[in-house]
Amino acid sequence: MASETLFSSVKEEARKNYIAIFEQDWPAWLAGIFIAILALLIFLWDTPWGIAGGYRNWGDWFLYTIGVNSKKPFAPWLHPMSMSNFGIFAGALMSALMSRQFKIRKAPPLEYAKGIIGGILMGFGAAFAGGCNVGGFYTATGMLSMGGIAMMVGLGIGAWIGLKYLLWEMENLSIKPLVQKTKGGTFLGVNWDIVQPYIGGTLFIAIVVAFYFYSAIDKTTLGGILFFGFLIGLVMHRSRFCFVRAFRCPFMTGESDMVKVVAMSLIIYGMGSAIIKWAWIKEPMMGVYHPFVLGSLGGGAVFGIGMILAGGCASSTLWRIGEGHLKLVMTLLGFSLSNALTHKFITAYNLSEKMGKGVFMPDVFSWALTIPLFIVFFVCWTFLAIWNEETEKFVIF
Amino acid sequence: MDLTTIEATQVLDTCGLSCPMPLLKTKKTLKAMKAGEILEILGNDPGSKYDLPDWGNKGGNEFLGMTDVDGGVTRYFIKKG
Repeated sequence: MASETLFSSVKEEARKNYIAIFEQDWPAWLAGIFIAILALLIFLWDTPWGIAGGYRNWGDWFLYTIGVNSKKPFAPWLHPMSMSNFGIFAGALMSALMSRQFKIRKAPPLEYAKGIIGGILMGFGAAFAGGCNVGGFYTATGMLSMGGIAMMVGLGIGAWIGLKYLLWEMENLSIKPLVQKTKGGTFLGVNWDIVQPYIGGTLFIAIVVAFYFYSAIDKTTLGGILFFGFLIGLVMHRSRFCFVRAFRCPFMTGESDMVKVVAMSLIIYGMGSAIIKWAWIKEPMMGVYHPFVLGSLGGGAVFGIGMILAGGCASSTLWRIGEGHLKLVMTLLGFSLSNALTHKFITAYNLSEKMGKGVFMPDVFSWALTIPLFIVFFVCWTFLAIWNEETEKFVIF
Repeated sequence: MDLTTIEATQVLDTCGLSCPMPLLKTKKTLKAMKAGEILEILGNDPGSKYDLPDWGNKGGNEFLGMTDVDGGVTRYFIKKG
């Protein structure tokens, strides 16, 4: 167009990009790469990424408030994992608002019950495994801790048991579908669909301001963690990134898509951390404390059952709450409380020593062998999943 | 295909359920149907918009399409193969 000005050109380009970023979904493999990079950045910036520790902090606050715990926990806004959790939630909420997908989503009573029970099981399992699907599996594996691999096996076993339950439930319990009330899409008299992106934009600015605020009070590390979490939440929501699928789908539909993505993401994460650790940029034993093998394996199995019942793991619980799912709010409550209580129990009886100890892969296989073995292991997992997709050998339904 | 005039053999309502229940129920219902029959699924979980089209085209079935109706509910159509 002859009348095209710089402004109209920029405006058109911005509109196209907005659609590409917030209206079209991102491919899962891209999210897998982003999440591995963000996890490595969090590791370089501070300490390895985890989620359950933040949930526990919130649970500890509840226990402290009702007088069960006498020791005052860290303030949630000064606790690193709690901060990255806030970030993930805020990122997902912003993403949902920007793509006009935020909505309070109710569920039938049985689903709420499954949400709470799933959360309790996950909190319990995460306490024994020394972390959730992120801290105990994804990050543990990325940090080259043997516990990550043990928890992965446990998660697979748990997913299989959980799926068996869901099949039983489907045959034996009937859930009435929720009658949806058609609500007028207005918010304080304005159209909710138009307002959403502006609230999302405001939230983004608020997170940036929060970063500079933390920086100004000499807590730049925490501000950075909040921001990294925010990016993870955005990536996870836009791609609907779900660790649960990597463990559930091979048994349920046979699909191997998410297995490929998680395996690829872990290879990037693991190799990145190998560089960082081998070169002593960070202390090699950092993030290697998972109770191998009993704690990680058993905790992983219980966690696996829980994540199937809840329909979300530690990370997807956060981003789904950002999208407005009330069922996952129940999961969060169950998770936080049960994780804090189980952790208290484990510490009181000194159980963690009996469950195993942190084993660093290079200490077992040497650095030279760890790297090829790590890659071969995840490539094998992928091929097994692809073979299962074609033959449906492991599909139980 | 015009989705508004489609005649479904069976309707499955998954409103209020979230991942993975809609897909699980779809798979179960479809198993009991005959080849050529059409299943209509109602759902309001955003995840279904990705799951059902992907899965619906596998195993010889055909995903016919989806259309949004009131209250955030989406109608999905799968033809059993």
